[in-house]
Amino acid sequence: MAELLLHAEDIDKKFGITHAVNHVSLDFYKGEIHALIGENGSGKSTFTSMLTGIYTKEHGRFFLEGEEIHPQNQVDANRKGVAIIVQEVGTLSGLTVAENIFLGKEDDFISHGIKHTNAMNRKAQELLNSYGFNHIDATAVIDTYNFEERKLIEIVKSTHFNPKVLVVDETTTALGHEGRRELFKVMKKMKELGNCVIFISHDLEEVLEQSDSISVLRDGVLIDTVPSEGTTVDDLRKLMVGREMSGNFYRTDYGEPISEEVVLRAEHLKVPGELRDFSLELHKGEILGIGGLSECGMHEVGKALFGASYDREGSVTLANGTIIKDIPTAIKNSIAYASKDRDNESLVINDTIRDNICLPSLENLKRNRILHNRDMNAFAEKFAKEMSTKMEGVDQFTSALSGGNKQKVVLARWIGLDSDIIILDSPTRGIDIKVKADIYARMDEMRKSGKSIIMISEEIMELLGMSDRILIMKDGALQGEFLRSEELTDEDLIEQMV
Amino acid sequence: MNVKKLRESQWFGILILALMTVLFWAVFKIMAPETFGSYTKVLTYIKTAFIYAIGGCGLYFICVMGPFDMSVGANIVLSSVIAVTASKYFGYAGLIIAPIISGTLMGLINGLVYMKLQISSLIVTVGLSLVYEAIGIFAANGKESVLSTDYRAFGDYPWNIVVAFSAYFICAFILKYTKMGTYAYAIGTNEVVAQNMGVNVRKCKILAFVLCGFFAGIQSILTISYGTSMTSASNLASMSRNFTPLMGTFFGLAFKKYGHPVIAIVVGEIIISFMFNGFVALGAPTTVQNIITGLALLTIVTLTTKPIKGAVVK
Repeated sequence: MAELLLHAEDIDKKFGITHAVNHVSLDFYKGEIHALIGENGSGKSTFTSMLTGIYTKEHGRFFLEGEEIHPQNQVDANRKGVAIIVQEVGTLSGLTVAENIFLGKEDDFISHGIKHTNAMNRKAQELLNSYGFNHIDATAVIDTYNFEERKLIEIVKSTHFNPKVLVVDETTTALGHEGRRELFKVMKKMKELGNCVIFISHDLEEVLEQSDSISVLRDGVLIDTVPSEGTTVDDLRKLMVGREMSGNFYRTDYGEPISEEVVLRAEHLKVPGELRDFSLELHKGEILGIGGLSECGMHEVGKALFGASYDREGSVTLANGTIIKDIPTAIKNSIAYASKDRDNESLVINDTIRDNICLPSLENLKRNRILHNRDMNAFAEKFAKEMSTKMEGVDQFTSALSGGNKQKVVLARWIGLDSDIIILDSPTRGIDIKVKADIYARMDEMRKSGKSIIMISEEIMELLGMSDRILIMKDGALQGEFLRSEELTDEDLIEQMV
Repeated sequence: MNVKKLRESQWFGILILALMTVLFWAVFKIMAPETFGSYTKVLTYIKTAFIYAIGGCGLYFICVMGPFDMSVGANIVLSSVIAVTASKYFGYAGLIIAPIISGTLMGLINGLVYMKLQISSLIVTVGLSLVYEAIGIFAANGKESVLSTDYRAFGDYPWNIVVAFSAYFICAFILKYTKMGTYAYAIGTNEVVAQNMGVNVRKCKILAFVLCGFFAGIQSILTISYGTSMTSASNLASMSRNFTPLMGTFFGLAFKKYGHPVIAIVVGEIIISFMFNGFVALGAPTTVQNIITGLALLTIVTLTTKPIKGAVVK
């Protein structure tokens, strides 16, 4: 039997009326990768946030190697041997890579009140090199690196001091294949050193592959802890949702012809550093999947079509001849766009659910040129409920919602506007299977009602399961095209991607 | 070194600053060859620029985090009055120590009130400016405070340089070699993340106001020594003293990506001094001077900042 490392005893936390974590007790062992899974809003991130000092707990105690710990913030948690890699950006712009790695730990490089910047840079570079990230310059301002590289820097920041417990909170969704491989390497190393990794992910295959044991949370309550060995994805789904879920929540239709009617045509799109030369046609009532490795340029396609790219060349034209050059024209012509970067590009995070849903529909909501609160509330409630958004009310701030519910708010906004062309970039990123199933069902409904959807995704199974056609991109250009077919496999797509 | 690397290097920033300085000097020299830009006149322009740059250094700590301090002018007025009084009793020691203490104290009060009330820094510091101005009137009995001719060494070269460069050195040192420098940038980028990393945001913000007050105190030494007298202000008349240091701070913020904000603040003030004096040399009315100076400042900061496309600017 492995030795107990961390014991969580009766941990409890409420946010208003929401019981986020409901008296959870859990044990974590040395040399273990312990996955925490559950639907969005099940309490996984809240539980680990209390462990790492991001939130304060209302009740309960954490014991690390038998000693009670009360981290006040992330750095305090680090000092006690607990670290976290968060879901969203955890590094700060304007600081150098080295300053980010040692933020809050500058005292190691300070003597007589003077910070020894050179020593800090040297140490940071040594660490980066030891992880194999030699291409990252410790003295460079972190803004010069992209989202994925910044995540790699965060991995170094969170693990270089060999924490006893490392929380990896939904980090893999931000990483491409290469980045994931690096992260798993680090997790494995942590395990070999006799530490514990608490791994949060919605990718159940990935969870089964990487972890030794899995704890399932539902509505803040611990449902069960099971060993990975001998457990199937369906077993986990059942535990998460609390009822049997059919193994396949994707579309089951095959062989339906795609409409001849082209609703949007993009020709020779070029965006410096992102797109080399890319063209596509979107048909009425079609779900067009776009896939590839994370840096292949596919995420820029969504922006380019919506008129949100800078320095874009080429043309985007609608069936009626309207040229889409900017976002207002796109919205006016019934195009919707949900970005991969939900918090920064899709939602007004410090605003209410109501305002977020009503934002593009304000013109339609006016009565006698005046906006009425009652109308806005009714509108937001209608579409939030249609998307089964878990919320206290439409007055709740979106920042308090889980990732899946935030995405539902984004979708509710565009459904409310009744857009005809919907561009969804990573629509199910960081979202649990129940919400995923809801979103897929909604997409299928929209398709059937004649809406056209462009779904950009890094998840191959999602592309195969939902798309009428799939475009695979590589290095900013089209690499291959596939039609929906039962015979089409993930290997076919991967072959084109790499 | 490729072109992109070169454009991002610290030397590129310094080169731009140097070229701009020469350019502004040359433009006014060509337009007013007799009345602008001789060696002795340039020394005078630089002398005033050095004074304002000290306040610019202080404001930098606050502005880089996000808030503003509009009480720097009132601080300078009151600290100058205090400096004159202290010099009568303690000589140079009083002239140096008293304004630094009073300036720092005002900074501390600003910081504490700002953090306690949790309202906009603009409102807090404008409100407190009225208080500082009133105290200045009481302290000077409503009269003009004149610095004795025995204690005016800091009003001219070389002692003004000693004081000014000591202040710049302290500012650059704090930014580069103390935790406060890193934390100021971290808070300016994302206060919540900084807090989660263990940064004591409250303490840092108060410290930023304290530092701003400290530098305003140093600026007061040179201000009173150079101007030799100070009249107490009322009804926010001191507000105009905020803007020249603030312009230097804008240069610092625009050039911080090159890693030398203090150099940018000092050179920025020199450029602004060239402009003010250039217009005077040309005999331009004050309104025209203000319009052109304002536009030139906006142009310089816009061209040098080169914001990332799509980045949110507040």
